[in-house]
This record gives sequence, structure tokens and C-alpha cells, in this order.
Amino acid sequence: MGYLFGSHPGQTVLVSPFPPGSVYVYVYEFPDQPAGAAPTARRRDDWQRVVAMSTADDGDTLPGIPNVGKADLDAMVENERPDPREELADVEADTDLGVSMAEDAQSVARGEISGDEYWEKYDEAAAEEFGDAYRETPNPAVDAGDQTVSTETAESLSCAVGSMDTVSTETAQVDDGEGGIGTGGEKWGMVIDLQKCVGCDSCTVACKSENRTPPGVSYNVVMEEEHGEFPNVTRTNVPRPCMQCDNPPCVQVCPVSATYKMDDGVVNIDYDRCIGCRYCNIACPYGARYFDFGENYDDEVEGAGEITSPEYGVDRGSREEGKSPIGNIRKCSFCTHRLERGEEPACVETCVGDARNMGDLENPDSDVAQMADSSRAFQLKEDEGTDPNVYYLK
Amino acid sequence: MSTQRSRFEFDPGFEDDRLRVAWYAVVGVLVAVGAYATYLRLTGGMASTNLTSIVPWGAWVAFYIYFVGLSAGAFLVSTMANVFEVEGMHRIDREALFAAIISMAVALLFVWIDLGRMDRMYFPFIWRQLTSALSWEVHAYVAYIGILVTELYFSMRIDLARVAERTSGLRERFYAALALGRLDTSEESQAFDQRWLKRAGIVGIPLAIFMVHGGTGVLFAVSKARPYWNSGLFPVIFVVSALLSGTALVMMIYVLRTRLFDGDSVDPDLLDRLAQLLIGFIIVDAALTAIETFIAIASLHPHEIETWQVIMYGPMSWSFWWFMIGFSWVFPMVLLSKRSWRRTPSVMVLAGLSVVIGIIAVRFNIVVPAQVMPVMEGLPHGSYFPTLVEWGTSVGMIGVGLLLYTLGAETLPLTPLSGGDHE
Repeated sequence: MGYLFGSHPGQTVLVSPFPPGSVYVYVYEFPDQPAGAAPTARRRDDWQRVVAMSTADDGDTLPGIPNVGKADLDAMVENERPDPREELADVEADTDLGVSMAEDAQSVARGEISGDEYWEKYDEAAAEEFGDAYRETPNPAVDAGDQTVSTETAESLSCAVGSMDTVSTETAQVDDGEGGIGTGGEKWGMVIDLQKCVGCDSCTVACKSENRTPPGVSYNVVMEEEHGEFPNVTRTNVPRPCMQCDNPPCVQVCPVSATYKMDDGVVNIDYDRCIGCRYCNIACPYGARYFDFGENYDDEVEGAGEITSPEYGVDRGSREEGKSPIGNIRKCSFCTHRLERGEEPACVETCVGDARNMGDLENPDSDVAQMADSSRAFQLKEDEGTDPNVYYLK
Repeated sequence: MSTQRSRFEFDPGFEDDRLRVAWYAVVGVLVAVGAYATYLRLTGGMASTNLTSIVPWGAWVAFYIYFVGLSAGAFLVSTMANVFEVEGMHRIDREALFAAIISMAVALLFVWIDLGRMDRMYFPFIWRQLTSALSWEVHAYVAYIGILVTELYFSMRIDLARVAERTSGLRERFYAALALGRLDTSEESQAFDQRWLKRAGIVGIPLAIFMVHGGTGVLFAVSKARPYWNSGLFPVIFVVSALLSGTALVMMIYVLRTRLFDGDSVDPDLLDRLAQLLIGFIIVDAALTAIETFIAIASLHPHEIETWQVIMYGPMSWSFWWFMIGFSWVFPMVLLSKRSWRRTPSVMVLAGLSVVIGIIAVRFNIVVPAQVMPVMEGLPHGSYFPTLVEWGTSVGMIGVGLLLYTLGAETLPLTPLSGGDHE
């Protein structure tokens, strides 16, 4: 019902944390009674609503709450805050415009003016001030699904209209000559340094949340192997994504060609074609394929199926019964949707030990190509002839 | 013609009406159970099974290959009559062909219900993959069903025409339609039918052996991720155990249908011939399985050895010892060992039934154990036992097969009207 909050002699205060914006307290009275007797209590008041209690007395009077000196903290923050005019003086752009845009942006945040009003007010001035740089950059207020300005306003703006995703995907397709992510025409490969892997499983977690995989589907797992007997025990953690084999047995067996090799080396699954026969599931020597039985995390997270990942670059909307990928086979796609916008796969980005590397295997100057060439490099089940594009470093 | 007409007696269907009611009641219960289970399967999706991503193939796949095997085996028995012209086998020619068709239909029902997206079952005919055994198989199945129907037609056409001749009204039109309007009962038309029957059989034999059932074995054997299946002998054993189960099935239904539908006495020579065939197939099946097992264990490949340990000593080892070894080999072998027993219909029905049930365990022991062992060390072990929904749907689909077979047996001249061999 509430938290035991603190007590005065003869009184216990229980604070209940709901609903938002208010605090409720129960006050119980304990009559004097002989020591050792079972405590009896009588509630003195019904729910007492205490509004904005902490701001009213700075928390000082609430028993059990340490006084953190809120005023002091505020002063420290104020002290650290750079002076906007000084900061903006260092850049070429107009200082007055910058300060005024920043102040109004705070007003938008407080809800005093709308996003539409804000952008209508500054669009022209910003275009004049920043020129092409402004016009070619996507406006963060304009974004598919999460747009904060009206369509009319968005269209009237002189900056590039389009979601951050689409624009970043377009800008990612620029060859920087270094074989990094987003150069286009890559052959994707992953190198996992087993010496650096600590077996924390955060790649598995990152993968699940990035790809929004249902229960029983985990594109990445960490296989933990223990060898030897105590006290001479060694342990190896082998993360296992899809190997994106050059000779994939799954592609070989699919009766409808729903899974196939793409030019960038990734083995794709066409959810609109897969009939769910699970032959590829049987054929994969790495156990990397999972069947989507249609289970959900609805018991754990409300509306868990509402947001899905645009796997293989296709946004399929919310998860519904009888709609693909339910009833289909699923697997790691090297986060194709992230690669397309110039980002590393979620597991690579999240890895605490920087054990996972992503890049172009066909570019001899790329990190992954060099690592995959090293004497430490090996592939899983090399004698299967599958030629994986995931390499491991011993 | 009038003399002939009196010679042919056509009265298919149960001799005993009470037995008919009882039998349809049993089949009706099976189909009703299956219908309810199928409803649960359709609404609950694949989550209504005990399948997982570790053991993605289960009871439905096991029954699918079981019925493909029954069909291929029954068909090959039929070719003994219509291609190899083994004496005295014509009596069971149509029987075997019709059983093969029904088995194949049931097999395809099992494939269908096993798909994650049942609504996309026609996709394999739109998109293909040359390297996929399964892609080839679905086409082979269709071609094979075509061959079976063609053969049954040429084998039965003359009797359909004879029946059409003697009936009138709706029944006449029904049989005439089944004969595709070819109502000629002359010697020449019969010779034409027999010629084409043989031709279709000649095409059908390699199709059944290498494509339909051998191919189904290949479907498993190509899976190098599963060393237990990944052997050259595997598809051969598939074909042999198909012959075993198909022969047993034909023997069983020959006796039952002759007794219960035709009210005839069983031909002991024919029964003995089928029984001896069965002995041969049991020996070859057991021997090849022993060779396969020996090679697997002698390889000392840990995956192979552990899979065999699962089969022989795992939680499902009863299915290996009791059903596979016991019901499909040892018990029928005992019943087949004495000449007088081989000529006793009731004993042979028991032997046939034993094999037909035992081979189910053979199929389960093919499909499941290879998936229990993880494909890589560090991945979880699988475990699988079908859910009630899986059993219920399986029972229902078998019930549909029994229903179709019974309806066919009650209406079609599956027993040659002229008695035994082609005149």
C-alpha cells in the first residue's frame, strides 16, 4: 500500500507514491501502551493529499529524508552553466539569433508556444543565416512517426523535409574510401575477439531489444563452454550470431527461395514468401535460425508487440496474429536496417569489451579484413564448407 | 455379354450392416477429435505444439514420412501385379493402388498442417529452389499422385464400365464419369488399358523409389548439420522400410476387405506370398539398419554416438526397443515363421498391424533423436513429446484417411469383378 516513511513518537507515516503529481500520506497513531504488548494502531486521518510537499519545505521537514541542500545544488549548476552569449560569440553564426532560438526552444519545451509557431518564426532567418547547410539538413521536428510539427508547417520549411532515418540512410551511402560502415558495395563481415569477450551477454540483450524478437527467438546467443576440472578450469564464451555463410545450407534447402544471399553478404529472409516449413532450421549447422511461434512479451511489457524492428529494411507495423513474421523463420540479419543508415549492428555497438567488429571484408584495408586474415582468426565448423562471414579471434 | 453379366457380381461395402455403423462411428469419433484439435491448431498457431526452434520437426513430420512410406510401399506391391506380372497378385492390384493414393493424401495433409503459414501451401509451385530436396519432393508427390490415379484408372476402368452398364440413373452416371466415358468392355479396350497400366507403372517405379520415398530420405540425408541423417545408406533404408510397411498394410487390408466387404475366403497362396515378401523386407530392413548403426558407432563421431545413446537409452528408448525392434521386426517375424500361420488370415492381420504400428516408431526415431543433440556444443539440448493437439490432429488426419478409404471401398470395384488375375 505504501512505503514506511518515518515515524514520530507514537506516529507512523506511510507515504503512497501514486498518483503522479501528488503524494498521499497515511498517518497512524500509536497510543501509549506497555512495553512488549502487540502494537495497535488507529488511522488518524483518511488519505491526506499533500501537494508538492517537497517544494513547499525543501524536504527538510520530512522525516527520514536527508537534506541534500537543493539550493546549493541549483547554485552549482548555475555556476557551471556557460554563458550563452560567450559561447555563441566563438562561432560565425549570429549570436542574437542563436540566443533567441534557444530561449524560444525552451518555451516550446515548456509548452508555452507550439513547434509550428517556433519553426514558422525562425525558418526564414535560419535559412538566411545557415544557407545550404540548413536547407540540406533534416529537421529533427520532422520525423516519420514522431513528428512534432504539423504537416503543413513541415512542408513549408525550407530545410530538407524527410525523416532522420531516410536522410541518414541517403547520406550513409557515401564512399569514404576507408571501408567503413556506409560506404556502399560492402561485403559485410564480423570479427569477434574471444580474448575480449567477457561473457556478459549484453550483445544478446541489445539484439533482442533492437530487433524486438519474441520469446524463444534470439538472433544472438553466447555459448559458454567450460573445460577442465577444478581448479584447472578454463571458460570460453563464444557469441553466436548468424554466420551469413558464403555457402549457406539454409539457402540450399529452402523450397521456395524465401531465403537467399544478398550482394552485401547478408543472408536475407523474405517474410512474405516463407511458408514456415522449418527445413532451414534443420539444415543450419549453427542453430542460428529460430521459428516465430507467435509468442509475445505481453505479460512482461504492456503493448510489447506494438513496436517492431524494420528488419531487412521493411517496416511491418505492429505484431499481429497470423501476420508475418509470425509463422516464419527468423534470424540475425547483421542489423541490415542499421547498416543501411550507417550504423553498426546493435551487438557490435553495445559490446562492453569492444570484442565485436563490423566492416567490409572485401576491403583489404578495413579492420575486419585484416583481423580475419590474422593467424588468430578462425571460423566455426570450417570443415562444413559453409565459409561463414563471421570470424573469431582465438 | 449376357453370360458375362451374370458372372460378375458387384456388391461392394460391408457385408454386415452393424459392423458398418460401428466402423463409421469409430471413424467419426476420430475425425471429430481431429476437427477440434485442428481448430485449436488453427487458432493457437504453432504454439499449440511442443515444437521449438531446437526441435522444429516433430510428430507431423514423422507421420508425413510414415504415410509417404506406406504409399510408396503399397504402390511397389501393386507393380508386382501390373508391371512384373507376378502370378496371383492381380487380386490386390487396385487395393494397393487405392491405399497408396489415400496414404499420399494423408501425407500431404500432415505436410500442410505442419507449415507455419498454412495459407501459403501453394507457394512451392510458384517459387522453386533447384538445390532444395523439398522443392523437388513436392513436385514428385504431385507427379506420383498423378501416376497412381492414372494406374488405378486403367486397372479399374473396365470394371467401372461393367458396373455402369448394369446400373441406371445417378449411379450409372457416377460410374460412367469415373470411367471417363470409356464404357467399352471389349477385349481390345482391356488390352489397351493393360498396356497403359504397365507403362504408367514403369514410370511410377523409379518415381516412387528414387523421387518419392528415396527423395524423402534424401531430404533428411542432405542435412550435414545432423550427422545421424547425413549418410548415403539412409535413403536406402527409407525405401526398404517403406516396402516393409506398405507390404504389411496391403496384406492387412487384403484380408480385412476380402472378409468384411467381399465376404470371400482369403486366398492362402496369395497370403503366403505376401507374407514371404514381408519376411524378406524385415530381414533387409533390420540388416541395413544394423549396418547403418554400426558405421555410425564405429565412426566414434561424438554426435553420432550420443544420438544413438539417446535412441537406445534415452527417455524415449521404449519406442526403439518395443515398437521399432519389437513390433516392426521381432514380433511379426515370429508370426511369419510358420507356414501354417502364414496361411492363416487372422495371424497375418496381426503381423501386418504390428508392422504398420511399429514403423510409426521407426519414423519418430528418425525425426526426433537427431534434433535432441545440439548442433554445436554450448547450445541447449532439445526434448520433445507431442502435445494433445498434435496427437489429436494426427488422429483426425488418419481418420480422414480411413474415411476416404472406406468410402472408396464401399463404392469402387477394388476387387476385380472377374475374380482374380486379369482374364
